[in-house]
Amino acid sequence: MNLKKMIITSMIICLCLFTQIISGESTTDSDVENELRIADKAGDWGYPNPYLGYARGPGYMRMHFIFDTLVWKNETTQYIPLLAENWEYLSEEDAYVFHLNKDAKWHDMKPLTAEDIVFTIQYMKEHPYGWIVLDSVDRGEALDEHTVKIHMNGPYAPFMEDIGGTMPILPEHIWKDVENPMDFTDETAFIGSGPYTYVDFSKEHGTYQYRSFDEYYLGKPIIDQLIYVKTGDPQMSLQRNEVDFASIKPDFIEPMKEKGFIVIKGPHYWNKKLMINHNIEPLDNITFRQALAYAINQSEFVDKSLRGHGKPASYGLISSECEWISPNVPDYPYDLDKAMELITSLGYELKDGFFMKNGETLELQILVSMISTGGEATPDRDGEIIKNQLEKAGIKVDLTSLDTKIVDTKVINWDFELAISGHGAIGGDPKILYEKTIQVSGTKPSPNCARYNKSEELNELLDGVIHEMDPQKRKEIVFEAQNVYARELPAISLYYPTWYNAYDPDAGVEWFYTIGGVAKGIPIPQNKLALLGTTVAKGGGEITDSTSIPVENETESSPLIPCISVIALLLAFFVIRIKRS
Amino acid sequence: MKKENSSSGRNLLSIYRIKYILSKRWVKIATVYLMTLFILLFINFILPRLLPGDVIIAMYSGQELLITDELYNELIVLHGLDKPLIEQFYTYITQLAHGDLGYSYVHRASTIDLIMKALPWTLLLVLSSFILSSIAGIILGVESSWRRGGRFDRLLLMFLLFIDGIPSLALGIMFLSVFSLYCGWFPTAGAITPYSDETGITYIIDVLWHLILPLSALTLSQLPGDYLLIRSSMLLTIREPFVLTARAKGIKERRIKYLHTARNAILPFFTRIGIRVVYVITGVLFIETIFAYPGLGLLTYEAISNRDLPLMQGIFTISVILVLLVNIIVDLSYKKIDPRIEYA
Repeated sequence: MNLKKMIITSMIICLCLFTQIISGESTTDSDVENELRIADKAGDWGYPNPYLGYARGPGYMRMHFIFDTLVWKNETTQYIPLLAENWEYLSEEDAYVFHLNKDAKWHDMKPLTAEDIVFTIQYMKEHPYGWIVLDSVDRGEALDEHTVKIHMNGPYAPFMEDIGGTMPILPEHIWKDVENPMDFTDETAFIGSGPYTYVDFSKEHGTYQYRSFDEYYLGKPIIDQLIYVKTGDPQMSLQRNEVDFASIKPDFIEPMKEKGFIVIKGPHYWNKKLMINHNIEPLDNITFRQALAYAINQSEFVDKSLRGHGKPASYGLISSECEWISPNVPDYPYDLDKAMELITSLGYELKDGFFMKNGETLELQILVSMISTGGEATPDRDGEIIKNQLEKAGIKVDLTSLDTKIVDTKVINWDFELAISGHGAIGGDPKILYEKTIQVSGTKPSPNCARYNKSEELNELLDGVIHEMDPQKRKEIVFEAQNVYARELPAISLYYPTWYNAYDPDAGVEWFYTIGGVAKGIPIPQNKLALLGTTVAKGGGEITDSTSIPVENETESSPLIPCISVIALLLAFFVIRIKRS
Repeated sequence: MKKENSSSGRNLLSIYRIKYILSKRWVKIATVYLMTLFILLFINFILPRLLPGDVIIAMYSGQELLITDELYNELIVLHGLDKPLIEQFYTYITQLAHGDLGYSYVHRASTIDLIMKALPWTLLLVLSSFILSSIAGIILGVESSWRRGGRFDRLLLMFLLFIDGIPSLALGIMFLSVFSLYCGWFPTAGAITPYSDETGITYIIDVLWHLILPLSALTLSQLPGDYLLIRSSMLLTIREPFVLTARAKGIKERRIKYLHTARNAILPFFTRIGIRVVYVITGVLFIETIFAYPGLGLLTYEAISNRDLPLMQGIFTISVILVLLVNIIVDLSYKKIDPRIEYA
């Protein structure tokens, strides 16, 4: 070997050794007993903290492992104890009293007290938290170290789901000095009282790392390390055993089962619906809207658009699988003759296959877009189906496909006739009926809210849905509200898609869908209770303890080192070539 | 009188001096590039604002955020949308001059931080692909043209024309299905194995292991363009008299091919580099999305989907600067590659 070659070889060896040294600083996590990986297509849902996480379902899910709420839900039961062991509603005082779990503590081992609850309410009133509105709450009061009384401004029926089961409790000793929660990214910003502690979040790679909290008051979680990874195709990652849990496409249910994965079918808590501009003719007419409902064949959407993986929706907005579903919601079975008869009764005449009135053809524009379902944009197949159905009933349709944001804006500005939209949370508290029918005063309109204030009867009923505290009476009001909603049809619910998730049973976790959805109705089957073992998840006692060794933070990854190595190798190659020539 | 003469003479002198300076080649280039940069920055600024719909509603409509009137007004002020357009543009240019590309309220992070974290991964992918496709394109193009009409030439031409017809998106999906899912040789997504214990050499191997599939898809999608350009350019150069002279002199064929002919045929390829950077940036968008590769392409896709105004502006600004920089380098290196340019 000549001198030049020797120098170049030594350079390469030195570089390799150097990269070994600089990359060797990070500690390993090979000593973790067991870990579980969950695949996610989007990856980045913000820092797992109440104020820094994105105000979307997956953003809340990333945070809920670290921060506990007062009450929670499991697979079968609404409102089970979490931080609060038990609670009562004092009707004469319009107040809730919560008795906290005495073993609850923060991740920095300080005890969790009633003062923390009082502080959280006050703090979230001053710094609004996107998921909840605390206008209904007057104040919190610590009766003793482990008892807190929450005074209400008036009766507010959805309190347990809306606030008790959604509001993450913040540690006062950390947050009391935080003036701007949006800028608070200190390590202590991730100290909560949940079953997992925060280890790392990489915005760049869309990954999250959590470690089990040994001192958790419901027992140590069964998984030591929980990791979220970003992947282009979650199902493919699961098939390759790169992850233990992923959402899957309906066509792959059987192949996944054959490979030994457990497939869980989601409840129908999300609906696709037809938004109607009820301020313009002829859509302002209830009879015409009913004619539309008769002309629409819901089953055709399920068969063609969802290839059978879905269910026709209830016309009363609330999911037909929810405990709040009215037993006698008006139905509109597919009936072309009935639809045409209703349209004729409004003075229209059928000519050349289309209805006409005053020399003008009955024509409607339908806006369609790629609606995001469960955080993922899905191509629209419904536009063509609905166009065919309505044209069969004599209504000419102008189908316009636009960007989702543009459709949203057009709907908000009432610059539309019909538009296909959708939303979830129809399986939880019936408050959704109020939120998606009437525009909450002082707020900007939501693109999937009907903003229908024309029916006094419906307005009164919806007011009762929010303020009636007697459970039985409330149920009756909710039933009646659905009936009126389905009769007046401010929007027409089309169908519920079925979502599937699969997991590897060997990972040791039995995942489930939460009744009514997690917190305010998030239909994601990653309830933290599943990580506490079957007994706790199903509402039982504590689980047996196991040991684990802490994991340290890794140094931030960067392609700089491989980049330098590749460039160095290429340089060395070219130097040899040039010297030779 | 004397004074007037001297002042007009000084004016004339300064005009001549300006003319002299402007006549310099590098000043001409700099002026053209600065004007291009300014125009592109203006387009960058104005285009996202011309998108239909209310920007605030579009940005936050997908979130579980009750947008009250007060919050709406706060967000308008926060994004600087309450100011006149000209003032917004002035703020944008001033901030840009200070290296501040704004703050992404969707990602809740500084735009420059987001871009700087994504850029190295894109550069790793794009540069490696660029080097590989260029080397392969030149070698295959030269060899193919040298054997024009032969079996090797015809087969290669047919194969690469076929590849050229497949979009990079489809190539990526094919690679992922075959080499990752079916064969199980490569990981399905990402640039590293998250929270694994790899360090040093194993870490480098892990990065390269994750790089292979997206790199192959991107390289293969770029290769036909390079190959076809070199081949056609070579076919014209082969007919030049100097090639015949070189042969008559008895120079070895390999030297004639690469040192005499290819060197003269390579100029159009270098001209294309500047234009190609743009295609690579757009091409990498699809590849990064399929392979969940954490680069600039994926960030662009997310920014457009979320209507993230500051991030979109930031990425486009960086892309514009990158493209112009490459073009400057190409412009300046023409002389070195082909000295005839100097006398043209």
